[in-house]
Amino acid sequence: MATKLTKAGALAATLTLGAVIAGCSGAGGPQAEDGGGISDDAIKLGVITDLSSVYSDLAGPNAVEAVKMAVDDFKAEHGDDVVTQNIEVTEADHQNKPEIANTTAREMYDRDGVDAIFDVPTSSAALAVANIAKQAQKMYFNIGAATTELTGAQCNAYTYHYAYNTYMLANGTGKAVTEQGAKNWYMIYPDYAFGQDMKKSFTAAIEGAGGSVVKADPTPFPNDNFSTFMTKAPTLSPKPDVMGTMQAGGDLVNVVNQYNEFGLRDKGVELAVGLMFSTDIASIGVDKLAGTLYTTPWFWNLDDRSREWADRFKERTGTRPTFDHAANYSAAMQYLEAIQRGGTDDADAIRKELDGHTFDDFFARNAEFRAEDHAVSHDAYLARVKEESDVEEDFDFTEKVDTIPADEAYMDPADSGCEMG
Amino acid sequence: MSGLLQQLFNGLVSGSFYALLALGLSVIFGMLGVVNFAHGAFYMLGAFGAFVALDSVGLSWWLALLVVPILLGVLGMVLERAFVHRLMHLFPLYNFLLTFGIALILQDLLRMKYGVTSQPYARPSMLDGAVNLGLFTYPKYQVFVFVFSIALSALVWLVLTRTRVGMIVRASTERAELTQSLGVDVRRWVTPVFGFGIALAGLAGVLAAPMRAVNSSMGADLIIVIFAVVVIGGLGSVLGSVAAGYIVGMLTELGNFYIPSLSQILVFVLMALVLLLRPAGLFGREEGAHA
Amino acid sequence: MLNVDNVTARYGEAQVLQGVSLDVDTGEVVTLVGRNGAGKTTLLRCLMGLHRSMTGDIRFDERSIATLSPHKRCRLGLGYVPDDRGIYASLSVEENLTLPPVVGPDAWPLEKVYETFPVLAERRRQAGTHLSGGEQQMLAMARVLRMGARILLADEPTEGLAPLLVQRIGEIIRTVKEHGVTVLLIEQNVHFASTVADRHYLIAQGRVVESLDNAEVRQREHELLEYLGI
Repeated sequence: MATKLTKAGALAATLTLGAVIAGCSGAGGPQAEDGGGISDDAIKLGVITDLSSVYSDLAGPNAVEAVKMAVDDFKAEHGDDVVTQNIEVTEADHQNKPEIANTTAREMYDRDGVDAIFDVPTSSAALAVANIAKQAQKMYFNIGAATTELTGAQCNAYTYHYAYNTYMLANGTGKAVTEQGAKNWYMIYPDYAFGQDMKKSFTAAIEGAGGSVVKADPTPFPNDNFSTFMTKAPTLSPKPDVMGTMQAGGDLVNVVNQYNEFGLRDKGVELAVGLMFSTDIASIGVDKLAGTLYTTPWFWNLDDRSREWADRFKERTGTRPTFDHAANYSAAMQYLEAIQRGGTDDADAIRKELDGHTFDDFFARNAEFRAEDHAVSHDAYLARVKEESDVEEDFDFTEKVDTIPADEAYMDPADSGCEMG
Repeated sequence: MSGLLQQLFNGLVSGSFYALLALGLSVIFGMLGVVNFAHGAFYMLGAFGAFVALDSVGLSWWLALLVVPILLGVLGMVLERAFVHRLMHLFPLYNFLLTFGIALILQDLLRMKYGVTSQPYARPSMLDGAVNLGLFTYPKYQVFVFVFSIALSALVWLVLTRTRVGMIVRASTERAELTQSLGVDVRRWVTPVFGFGIALAGLAGVLAAPMRAVNSSMGADLIIVIFAVVVIGGLGSVLGSVAAGYIVGMLTELGNFYIPSLSQILVFVLMALVLLLRPAGLFGREEGAHA
Repeated sequence: MLNVDNVTARYGEAQVLQGVSLDVDTGEVVTLVGRNGAGKTTLLRCLMGLHRSMTGDIRFDERSIATLSPHKRCRLGLGYVPDDRGIYASLSVEENLTLPPVVGPDAWPLEKVYETFPVLAERRRQAGTHLSGGEQQMLAMARVLRMGARILLADEPTEGLAPLLVQRIGEIIRTVKEHGVTVLLIEQNVHFASTVADRHYLIAQGRVVESLDNAEVRQREHELLEYLGI
């Protein structure tokens, strides 16, 4: 409510503008691409992200900075041979709202001549942009959102899903924790698209590994009080071995705090976290999370390659990157390299260039732009939050438990439900 | 059975925050006729105050519990003198918009400085662990929050009902103009009462710091429920807002327990019912309505 | 004692008082008589400083009080009983009595109040609004005596009361007068007015149209009643 009043005006203006622009481009028909060269003599990268609300720290301005960093590195790498010096990065705030993401994406493609859109956290917003990309026939690399729909029923030829998805998180954490012996799960999930998606994926992974979900409760969003669920957990029958929380951001902080308050670990209920960013661990405090298993596609001090990049990122931004930041960089770089290889930024040429392309960089190992469903598959990691005594520097929170190979981290494309048009 | 009791106790703990916030909001509304939209922001400032005090000066939580509300109370009084006061003779919407603006400014200032992720805050070690309450054991800290807020509400109640200051506040809350014409300089009491209400919000924030996520939006997420609580209790009714705080707390917990997907709307359903059946609120008096 | 000089007042666009002048001398009981909407209540509110848009002058003991805030006027000795009696629901009977500060040397101690109005003593702990209408009126007037106000400004104290209670109010007003307190009363009941008051101002459309004494009131009672639409 606090922000809706002001945003309603902005929204109305954006919608009107969007409608006008949509009308114009409709009249003119889709722009014809000649299939070669660089359109407008420039490559334009647009980052649509959350610049002002809950995800602005884990994605946000630093995701934009990561894309800019990729542009700089790309130019430096190719020197005089670079396909064009004229590479621009624009940014827009979608406030995690699908309707704003929708109009912003339209404006970027149609009015600003943006060639590719990056990031777009929040699943509903991510899907809205995928739809626009399909209509506009322009490239879209989603990084910030988790939904498997992007590479499933709602997949399309111009959309790649880059960093992670709920299947990966579930098949990392859900499967591993169940196989370690925690057969009975109690799950709490925020009652919106992401939470419901996570619940579905986790349930499948847990049951696939021989476990069972005793109960799954939706929780209000946002919510600062989880005491009901904390007192409920040990009383369920059969008693759950582990509580799986699908909350994110501030809600996750509340869950972990209250999990500790109510001493659930002492009551024999372990904690598993569905999705966690390094920014979350910093907010909660390592002491409260020590030993917690979770799945991540990357963390900044995974190895020397990662650390080398993270150091450069810190020089630019003053902070350590989340996996979203790293993936934005990686995706932008892959996109630019594809243009370099093909000599054109035409979307149809680029997607042909990318489909089936395999690569390996500091972020993505054993990676492939899968042609079947446009998931960019790569290894993921089962990780554990370090003990406080093992933390050696700021943001040194995570240790790798296991590598989840790309073909396990990602769903078999045959099962994805994607029909690439 | 003990499960149900435990849920009710959960409700009393979360109701403690509602009660303290609604109490301040209610006193301010009664005395000034101002719906203070910035109340949630001061709750947030209270939590951040505790965090900053510990982080920068090493001030313990116990001291923060004393110092932060006082500082915020002073800030509240300054804001009242500087802004709220000037708009008081105008249509109430002006002050509503003013406090709405103050809330947004405070929230964004904190966001600029600390971003949107939450700040870590550790529980005071004295309140670590759990206590046995007979039927169940319960986190010591949360028991403390409940006892503290009950004691504080009781203290406020005593001051309001047993002292001359309290009498003046009650009279001004019920009918400010009449009280003025009976020789009481109501305006003199307006600023301290505003400060007091703000201090209570800050205090709730300090209490929340060790158990809730400390971030810039924590107050904005709460304020709508608090408005509902005040309406349920009866606008301007002090006892009503405290009681409604605990009632709403318990109702939400029971909702979470039995029908989690509906728990969010329960409080507003209750509000609608109260407005239909008892427009002055559960504890409100019709007589107070024309103040 | 109280001099009202060419007072005007408006509610938004409507001019409610069009230049009212009147005087009340020490020890007098004076009533304002007039139809509903004639501006009597507004005039009383102007005297107390509760009506903002007002011009003209009001003097109390030769001192202009027109710009003073209500609580200062009260402290000079103006005791106000509003048309709804002004009893607080959230205050007990005793608190209702002791809320205003003592403003004059002749203030009644609480014991004297209870002696004179035993029913208030009996119900001192109850909420003010638990009293009956007549008792509330009694309480409101007792409050003015308790303060030690030098003039009582009462807005239709008999409105809605049964005849027996109207009599009782009359007695109270006489008691008030005996104690040297001046009284300015709004009253529609002209018969009642002529039994308690010394003089009367007839107010119509925001003006004082006539000043009458008791004899004139009795003589013209039918005409006045007709005029008042009763």
